[in-house]
Amino acid sequence: MARHESPFDMQIKLLMIGDSGVGKTCLLLRYASDHFSQTFITTIGIDFKIKNIELDTKRVKLQIWDTAGQERFRTITTSYFRGAQGILLVYDVTDKKSFQSIRNWVAQIQQHADVHVNKILIGNKCDIDNEREVSTEEGAQLAAEYGIQFFETSAKNDINVEKGFITVAREVKNRLMADGGSQGARTQGNVALSAPAKGGKKSSCC
Amino acid sequence: MSPPQSRTPPPAPPPSSARQQTPGSSSSSARGAPPPPHADGAGLQSRPSFRDSKYSEILGADVVSLPDLRRLAWNGVPPAYRPTVWKLLCGYMPANRDRRAAALARKRREYAEAVAAHFAAAADAARSAQEQALLRQILVDIPRTAPDAPLFAEVAAVQRSMTRALYVWAQRHPASGYVQGINDLLTPFYVVFLGEHVVGGEGGGAGAAAAAAAAALPEEALKEIEADAYWCLTKLLDNIQDHYTAMQPGLQRMVLRLEELVRRIDLDLHAHLAAEGVQFIQFAFRWMNCLLMRELPLPAIVRAWDTYLSEEDGGFESFHVYVCAALLCKFSPALLRLDFAALVLFLQDMPTRAWSEADVEPLLSQAYILSTLFENSSAHLNVTS
Repeated sequence: MARHESPFDMQIKLLMIGDSGVGKTCLLLRYASDHFSQTFITTIGIDFKIKNIELDTKRVKLQIWDTAGQERFRTITTSYFRGAQGILLVYDVTDKKSFQSIRNWVAQIQQHADVHVNKILIGNKCDIDNEREVSTEEGAQLAAEYGIQFFETSAKNDINVEKGFITVAREVKNRLMADGGSQGARTQGNVALSAPAKGGKKSSCC
Repeated sequence: MSPPQSRTPPPAPPPSSARQQTPGSSSSSARGAPPPPHADGAGLQSRPSFRDSKYSEILGADVVSLPDLRRLAWNGVPPAYRPTVWKLLCGYMPANRDRRAAALARKRREYAEAVAAHFAAAADAARSAQEQALLRQILVDIPRTAPDAPLFAEVAAVQRSMTRALYVWAQRHPASGYVQGINDLLTPFYVVFLGEHVVGGEGGGAGAAAAAAAAALPEEALKEIEADAYWCLTKLLDNIQDHYTAMQPGLQRMVLRLEELVRRIDLDLHAHLAAEGVQFIQFAFRWMNCLLMRELPLPAIVRAWDTYLSEEDGGFESFHVYVCAALLCKFSPALLRLDFAALVLFLQDMPTRAWSEADVEPLLSQAYILSTLFENSSAHLNVTS
């Protein structure tokens, strides 16, 4: 089966979180399918996409999990935190509340995710400048406070979308390689990340 | 495997005899004759089919026999009768004909009062932070509800109407409140009840014609649809409320039952999913939360709900799990060839989006067969994992 041919050097699991309606699904559709639709639909529970990329000469298979933002689904969505290696924290620059929620989301990460997980802050919908409620400076400040990278994006106009995903993916890749050395990174990539395939063992992420 | 036993009480004839019982397909028989304005007692004008005359007989009685109606409706309700049949099966409209008009008038008035209380100008100013968050969430979701169906995507009056119904429901059910997916569950009621108000229409649609009809409706008519949809949604959700309360225990229970069923029906598939690390909760959570409304198109859902509503109880819970099992096992040959990622991608975007009523009927029959095999042994299906 394809799994054993391993057409990639490394597999990375990314997770998207943030309030309902900030555009997580639209960002993912833009990135994974280069497609934007106004007629999107609410995510229930969790969705999943695959994107194969070349990252600094490594062939990387990105597994991206897109979560529902609504509070009631927290039980199911937080169960995916643990397996994530990189997390995109998304808010909507036209919605102050979604920005204020980022602190809660970070608390959720601390509670449920791996301590070493890489994070990135994403302020989406930057194309709607006339309805902006969160300035670029506020976003940058918060990101600096957490010591993480920050991008303002537009899924609609395809601004910075790829950059956001690539940036966090690269951080994860570099961390894994540093953790295990070059030989170790490869092994870790296969063992830790493809764990679901081995002997019915449950993936830590799911 | 336990021997086949008929369930008690059996709500439906076995699917094979069901097909013989309805010689004309639902579309030809229902669309050939002009729909009766209201099915309660109105005679059919031209060459009624056997099924039409059965409906006319059952619905024409002074007190509708709900067991008889369930048996008949389980196999699909012709669009002309559907509004009446659904209201009866939901337990919203009294079976006793003499009580109907007054009961409906009272319910509609009661709903109108609730709307007035929640949406008056004064209520706007007095909304708590929590209520504002609730309204905001519903307003975010309404444009994302059935976005491919013009009836819901394009008619502002329908969107406002659904916003009110969802808000009032959530306010009156604080234990669950509004949970995404409940917006989906409201749509079939609008589709069906709109059919009653469209002159010469067949009902059941959510396309451009239905959107135009809805946009042209007098305000009073839309209010009636809204109130009826609200109450029927309430009845539906009353039976499955713990699907939407904190931690969603009802959904967890259904997912576990689905997994156990599949393990017993299709061991290879179950083993394959386990070996690939696919957990049932990953794909079946949404199947339960939205009752397959994200997997099947509205006409297929409306047909499925004829059957769900006809189940004595548990149509939207236990029977739905059998439907999900039948659905999953239907795709077993394809699924067995896929690895983890391909499985998850397949299951979150099933090749069922263009299904018709005719596609969903065999699934319902299959689910019925499974239910007769496993219902009486449901103790064995209890949580083992």
